[in-house]
Amino acid sequence: MVWTRGHVDWECCWDRDVVALGDCPNIHEGDEDLLESPRRRILEKCCDCPNFKRDLERFQASGHPLGPVFSLVHDEYRRQKIHIQSLLSFLDSKSLEIRFLHELGSVLQSSVDLEEVLSVALTAITAGRGFGMNRAFLLMVDHKRDHLQGYLAIGPRSYEEAHQAWDEISHNDMDLQTLAQSFRKNKLTAERAKFHDILEQISVPLSTTTHILIKALDGKQPMLIEDAFHHPDVDQDFARLLGVDTFLLMPLVSRNRRVGMIIADNCISHRRITAEDMHSLETFTFPVAFAIERASLYERLQEELNRVTEAHSKLKEQQELIVRMEKMALVGRITSSIAHSIRNPLMIIGGFARSMLKNTPAGDPKRNFIESIVGEARQLEGVLDEILNYSDSLYPTKDFWDVNQLVETALRDSAAALRAKGYESTFSAGSELPPAYIDFKQVSYCLRTILQCDLHGIGHELVMDIDTSREDDIITIRVQDHGRYIPQAELDAIMVPFSSTQEMGASLGLALCRTMLEKQGIPLNALSEPESGIIFTIALPVRKEEP
Amino acid sequence: MSRLLVVDDEANIRLLYAEELKDEGYEVVTAAGTAEAVEKLQESTFDLAVLDIKLKNESGIELLQKLVKERHDMPVILCSAFSCYKDDFSAWLADGYVVKSGDLSELKQEIARVLAKKNQRQKAGL
Repeated sequence: MVWTRGHVDWECCWDRDVVALGDCPNIHEGDEDLLESPRRRILEKCCDCPNFKRDLERFQASGHPLGPVFSLVHDEYRRQKIHIQSLLSFLDSKSLEIRFLHELGSVLQSSVDLEEVLSVALTAITAGRGFGMNRAFLLMVDHKRDHLQGYLAIGPRSYEEAHQAWDEISHNDMDLQTLAQSFRKNKLTAERAKFHDILEQISVPLSTTTHILIKALDGKQPMLIEDAFHHPDVDQDFARLLGVDTFLLMPLVSRNRRVGMIIADNCISHRRITAEDMHSLETFTFPVAFAIERASLYERLQEELNRVTEAHSKLKEQQELIVRMEKMALVGRITSSIAHSIRNPLMIIGGFARSMLKNTPAGDPKRNFIESIVGEARQLEGVLDEILNYSDSLYPTKDFWDVNQLVETALRDSAAALRAKGYESTFSAGSELPPAYIDFKQVSYCLRTILQCDLHGIGHELVMDIDTSREDDIITIRVQDHGRYIPQAELDAIMVPFSSTQEMGASLGLALCRTMLEKQGIPLNALSEPESGIIFTIALPVRKEEP
Repeated sequence: MSRLLVVDDEANIRLLYAEELKDEGYEVVTAAGTAEAVEKLQESTFDLAVLDIKLKNESGIELLQKLVKERHDMPVILCSAFSCYKDDFSAWLADGYVVKSGDLSELKQEIARVLAKKNQRQKAGL
């Protein structure tokens, strides 16, 4: 037989330069470019074509010495082709995995938000385009309590829920980051609540080294647990809690520090978890552990930063307060020093003038001059008292004080002055009053000023009634002066500090008292009524004000 | 006649007190500072002391503490240009407190009150 092209009636089209669509059973629409390329056609289609195989058998049967060689080469070529295809498929799947891990890594590396990291990690485990597990639990190491504690979980709890979720995912083609963001935004809280009962029960002391979770954590290696209900190392309560017989334990360890654990299973589909799954997930756990630890540290750092910022701001406030107090103290010291320097000569002038006055007969023309000196010296002393009291009021010192005792002391101090004016006084002390939070000196001064004030007015009887009472968190000191009445408008004007209508002297005392008390947040009110006289009320707090 | 010790660093104030209190019937001895006061106290006994709080570079409060410890039977009235000492705990050791004024009636009343109280205590054998 002569073996030339076109000479033998071959079943396959390998000997033709050009074929038409339909001539080759392996060339279909879309493969038209092969119709005019015999080389590509032979390599890509003929080797797998049954027609070609039969042609080859005919060739071999003809007894040509190359027949067996061609068959050998053909078989080897087919075997190699299948191998290459399987390698390609493996490469494709690895390439997808690497792309996924890259995507995961870039999200995990860029985030310092713990919830975002956890959302990404758990979404990656359960997403179809990720590791495709049905359910994942995240346990975190509580370093304060030395416990491994359930923290978060993701996945369906029933078939219905699973199908609904898969259906939803298949309709929304989202990348991993978008999926994780959507999970965090829409489902994180719900998932936490959904698995709350299970998460709450997963709490294992790190010292319980016999527990499978701690074993896996200490071993720092993932573990595939199969036949959990009969597994010698698995606590049966724990297996029942998970409700699956096969699950994967993946310890999260970062720089030899135990961070937590991921438990993953296929509780709905019951798809077998393979060694491949385990290795893939193992690659994934390192960046997750690192990201969780970094996010936790960042969170702690943020808390510390907030604390430091708060402390700094408090320190700044305190510093400003100290500077202010130093200034006030300086003002106080200067005022006191001036007042002291003035008071002594003033006292000597007034004192000797009084002595002279005593020894000057009534008709002596010098008496008027001496009286003027005495009067002016008295007025100057009054002004001096107020200046000193004002400088005292610049820095109140508050503490808890017995109000009834305060009133009794003020009454005792004012007894002589009241007697001199012909006043009688009564005091009705409220029972079981708690201590008030006040500056004792200032409130005492104000009460003494009220009791001794020189308001000019006309009243019914020279009686001063004082009482104390409590309502909620306020103790009220009420002073009713029956001996005087002045129009309310005039009284109001007197109570305005440094108002232009006032003269320096005794009446300034009331305005000063109001200013002094207002600085402590204590209201001083004065009400004048023709029938009752003047009623002063001071409302004292029993609690420290909120900072 | 009650004997009073007046301690003040101002000579004119000592003079004024001495004159006014003598008029009230007291025997008055004056001292310009702590050392002189201690000296006078060692020389004789007094029924009452009137102390100024600010004595140049010394403190009348320290002298008051010394007197309370060593002469607890002798009452002390503090007399100062500062009203704020009245509510100072250290000043509470004194039997009376008077803010300095050209009008000495408050001081005179306080002296009379404190001496009367002392006499009552003595009568009661306390």
